[in-house]
Amino acid sequence: MIFLARRIAFYIGAFFLAVTFNFFIPRLMPGDPSARIIASFQGRLNESQVEAIRKSYGLTGSLWEQYITYVGSILRLDFGISTVQFPEPTASLLFYGATWTLVLVGLAIFFAFIIGSFMGIHAAWHRGGFFDSFFTPINVMLNAFTPAIVALLLFYAFSLQLQWFPLGRAHSTSISPALSFEFIGNVLYHATLPVLSIFLVSFGGWHLGMRNVMINLLNEDFVILAKAKGLSDRRVRYRYVARNAILPQITALALSIGFLLGGALVTEQVFNYPGLGKFTFTAIGSRDYSFIQGQLLLLTASVLVANLLSDIANVILDPRLRT
Amino acid sequence: MSSDRVLLEVRNLTVDYVGDNSIARAVNGIDFDIREGEAFGLAGESGCGKSTVAFALARLTRLPGLVSGGSVRFQGEEVLSFEKARLKAYRWREVSFVFQSAMNALNPVIPVSEQIMDVIETHNPELGEKGARARAVEMFELVGIPPQRLDDFPHQFSGGMRQRICIAIALALNPRLIIMDEPTTALDVVVQRDIIEQIVELKSRLGFSVLFITHDLGLMIEFCDRIGVMYSGELVEVAPASSILTNPQHPYTRALGSSFPPLSGPRQRLEGIAGSPPDLRALPQGCRFSPRCPHAMALCAQTAPELRFYPEHESEAACHLLN
Repeated sequence: MIFLARRIAFYIGAFFLAVTFNFFIPRLMPGDPSARIIASFQGRLNESQVEAIRKSYGLTGSLWEQYITYVGSILRLDFGISTVQFPEPTASLLFYGATWTLVLVGLAIFFAFIIGSFMGIHAAWHRGGFFDSFFTPINVMLNAFTPAIVALLLFYAFSLQLQWFPLGRAHSTSISPALSFEFIGNVLYHATLPVLSIFLVSFGGWHLGMRNVMINLLNEDFVILAKAKGLSDRRVRYRYVARNAILPQITALALSIGFLLGGALVTEQVFNYPGLGKFTFTAIGSRDYSFIQGQLLLLTASVLVANLLSDIANVILDPRLRT
Repeated sequence: MSSDRVLLEVRNLTVDYVGDNSIARAVNGIDFDIREGEAFGLAGESGCGKSTVAFALARLTRLPGLVSGGSVRFQGEEVLSFEKARLKAYRWREVSFVFQSAMNALNPVIPVSEQIMDVIETHNPELGEKGARARAVEMFELVGIPPQRLDDFPHQFSGGMRQRICIAIALALNPRLIIMDEPTTALDVVVQRDIIEQIVELKSRLGFSVLFITHDLGLMIEFCDRIGVMYSGELVEVAPASSILTNPQHPYTRALGSSFPPLSGPRQRLEGIAGSPPDLRALPQGCRFSPRCPHAMALCAQTAPELRFYPEHESEAACHLLN
């Protein structure tokens, strides 16, 4: 428990560091977001109107006052107002996008981790056999593809040419969001190709990682002892070998979250999927500072949360961390 | 305490390690018997094939190792031709193993209770979980570990306790033979003594035989009834423990004995054995020890001597000097 408390304290510290950087970096750059809005009125604003706009972006007062205001609003989940979709609050855009990204990345990670790990277990157990010598090189190769290529190929083949899958969006416009089978089915249908393209480039990594750790463990005394004890193959494989091999995989899973969210950016762009990545892409193009800043914070927070979850999982799975 | 009935009969056992372009004969046609209730020791320097023999007897040889010839008869049955089901009963019900390093012989992430109960449940499914647990408690009491610690994890025990747990696991099915591959090498001398005394006590109570492997000749002489000395994959001498150092027949045994410093008496210069063991891929013709032997004759370099019984010494030795 002391271990977890220490980790949580560390993550909170790391988050505030990110908030601080997030506050200072845009202010070190020339110009500020309000200038764009003010300029768009072509001088038809009077002094107090300009002041009001600057105030709404937290740009009045000393730097220290601005910082306090900023931290306060972050804690209230107020990320300011989007400049592109003015006057939409950034927070609602962020959470809308994050929900869809979570659907994509969540499904892709879930399948990639489970399928990749099981393939790795199988390949390691029968190493040198047909499965291992066929799938291991193929999965390594797939893992070397970039998400952009795979997404484009899938999009071209299955959406444009064969027209088996839709050309974009998270769900059909004809169905309104509801917790019904129809809606969920529609969402899954729209998510299939984007999920598949993230899955294809990432499951090989889990296959390879699991296989390597497993093979190292197969020479451990406790595994040889377990086999000598006459236990069933299944039990030795899962309870003695895979049970140990999963620990470094969980840590790697947390570390991959950031990478996957970055990869989702391209995938969402290709499939015109309304996720965080797509909004970020637009936001960068149109200098929507509050959105970019909010997205950065959300990314930081999700990497930290993923790490915290992996710490918790490790404490549950590894008794050596509990004492 | 040992009877004259033979429990395990090893004849002409040969084990090779197969490389891409070479074969190393790690065990070259060795013969020995282990009698019921006997502690038989295998001594020799590192790499002489002691552990390879142990693994072969339990049919645990794995590639690149290959048992390429000979026979191992357990109570008259040929172990090397056991099929899967018979082998499963042989391993652990009749023969069990204690490994060198107690640190690695237990799975670090599952409680020790599970690691002793699984072998009981696998071989005696009729006992059920309750029966297996009762047996595990009994075993823990037998080796002097408080049964309330049954559900602890390996890292919560000291090295000596872990080795006791390994012994408890080895005893769980009341086997006829326990192969102990350097069971105390990783422990300090005090703990080592405790463990050995405990094994002696259990052995006299339960009547199992032991194949004891170590390079600690002093410890072996105290514990074993008979000792086989191995050199470069061959048995060069098999003699009662009481006379192996006082009346060694083979020059290698003599040299091994004189590499131990006496604890009392006048200071004397230690005699080492000049040279190093031969490369198993390029063995000398004739006696393998001849290049290092101070008494080597012309004959030694040509023909290898056979292990022969010399009734006047109650021992077997393989040396031309004795003829």
